[in-house]
Amino acid sequence: MKRLLTPRNLIVRTGVALVVLLVVMFACSLIGTESISWKAVLDGPGAQPAANPDYEIFVRVRLPRIILACLVGAALASAGVVFQALLRNPLADPYILGISSGAGLGAMIAVISGLNWTLWGRSPIAVFAFAGALGTVWLVWFIGRLTGKFHVTGLLLAGVVVNAFFSAVIMFLTSIAKGEHVYTTIFWLMGNMTEEDFLVLWIGAGCVVGGMLALFYISPQLNALSFGDDDARSMGVNIAGTRTIAFGIAAGITAIAVSLSGLIGFVGLIVPHAVRLLFGPDHRQLLPLSGIVGATFLIIADTLARIVVAPAQLPVGIVTAIVGGPFFLILLVKYSKKVSWLK
Amino acid sequence: MMNKWWWLLLMISCWMAVGIVVFGPRQAQNSGATPPPTDADRIVSSAPNLTEILFALGLEKEIVGVTLDSDYPPAATEKPKVGTFWQPNIEAVVAAKPSLVITLGFEQQKNLAERLERIGYNSLTVNIEKVSDLFDAIEEIGAATGGPERANELVGDIRKKLDRLSALAGTETKVRVLWVVQREPLRVAGRDTFVNEIIELAGGENAIGPTVHKYPPVGAEQVIACSAEVIIEPAMSQEDLAAQQDRAFQYWSKFRNVPAVREGRVYVIRGDTVSRLGPRLYDGVETTARCLRPELLEN
Repeated sequence: MKRLLTPRNLIVRTGVALVVLLVVMFACSLIGTESISWKAVLDGPGAQPAANPDYEIFVRVRLPRIILACLVGAALASAGVVFQALLRNPLADPYILGISSGAGLGAMIAVISGLNWTLWGRSPIAVFAFAGALGTVWLVWFIGRLTGKFHVTGLLLAGVVVNAFFSAVIMFLTSIAKGEHVYTTIFWLMGNMTEEDFLVLWIGAGCVVGGMLALFYISPQLNALSFGDDDARSMGVNIAGTRTIAFGIAAGITAIAVSLSGLIGFVGLIVPHAVRLLFGPDHRQLLPLSGIVGATFLIIADTLARIVVAPAQLPVGIVTAIVGGPFFLILLVKYSKKVSWLK
Repeated sequence: MMNKWWWLLLMISCWMAVGIVVFGPRQAQNSGATPPPTDADRIVSSAPNLTEILFALGLEKEIVGVTLDSDYPPAATEKPKVGTFWQPNIEAVVAAKPSLVITLGFEQQKNLAERLERIGYNSLTVNIEKVSDLFDAIEEIGAATGGPERANELVGDIRKKLDRLSALAGTETKVRVLWVVQREPLRVAGRDTFVNEIIELAGGENAIGPTVHKYPPVGAEQVIACSAEVIIEPAMSQEDLAAQQDRAFQYWSKFRNVPAVREGRVYVIRGDTVSRLGPRLYDGVETTARCLRPELLEN
């Protein structure tokens, strides 16, 4: 039996994880296809563009990208924790209820229609993907409600079927679309990081960190829910309210992550599991730690994506799957013997 | 219970407000200030056909970065690389200290140009989807790099050669061509493509009628029905065309009813001149014309 979680433990572990995250951010900001000198970076921007490329690479290209990876990783990993808890299904990830195909369809429509405007600095692809993601989640939630008050199986099946249906529509559009549109969409579907405006990153950070804090608030209720509805009810938990809040926040931050960087798989699935295997299933700890570990993991994956096939780049979704998969399997085999809830 | 939620909401609102105050106005300023005009003495090209145009305009010295797929002229392969056509590496572009970045109008390419402009770099986006676009693009690039005469000359030269060829082929009946871009599954060039223009410039006509797709997938039935007189397959790799030609004969032998197959008129040709619209357009058209009427260009 694992020792119970004390506040001291929680603070120490979160603090250590945060320090690791900062160290990784710093280390990764030094790595890239171009070598840059610190002295030049600290000189600040030159009088005109291209006067100081070192500064521009560091501040305008690498730093925004690392911050973006941090946000997206944290959002996906915490959303994964919530979906696994709500659906009581170890296979659940942020995309399980159709967000991926809904966002993908939105992106595809934006690409094909060739729209050319920006909304608060976001491209039509990002806006449509965000709308597609939230719309799909709402649709699945709505269908799930029709099958019963909160029928986990009904919800899951609705998600799987909506996913399959939208994927088929994506395939159909792919088969009739122009070649370059198809390529653009495929690269989007594989997940890509680009450098975003600081305003976008700032607002994104507000939403993601705010969402994570809200989820942390309700983590005791999530603990109760993961025992099952009856147990939770007997502990005095407002089941419907907790579910709606958790579900809405998790879907919201996933949609933000997807609209920022496309579909990055695996982070939302393996990071929560890895953290659970290492530190136990208490959501008060699982949520913050998963968020921080997810951020760290995605920053490392994105740094690899930037440099492994230099001077070209890889879509980061490929790296998360290739690096994350084997690593997770090792963890699974090594730790699963110790953990009783897996059996 | 309610209290902490209000706190959270308040904190998020403050955070957003701070963000808009700190980053919002400066963003507007940035977009308002026009970048100072510079001469294009350091050019980055993000596509192989753009690289070819730049070389044809005599700007070899000015090119400071090309994509990995820029393999012509051979000197292009020795230029610093800034990623691939589909996955340009913005870090490498910035490190090349470009005064002008030229991209194509495809989504991914346009996106690169927009990202660079946000950081403050000059870019030029040209659309090259049709033969007429190519001429416009050459002239646009010529104007942006300070050599419009050179561009006019290049365009005039290509046009002249094309006119001479079409004068040769003009009076003959059109040859029906099936242009195969992919074998499994079978995909061919449709009418709304620049390949179609190459076929027509070479004195042929597309054996496939109007289609929904630009490069439609076709079934065996359509292949037989189109009664192509010549089948052309641009080779993906430039190596060992003879072996690829043999494999093509083998594959097409199952369509014995098609005139092109019956008469052994299946050709595997070099792919680069016909799959990118660049200054070597005439070479591509001539290669195609040789497949359609080998006798015409004998002299």
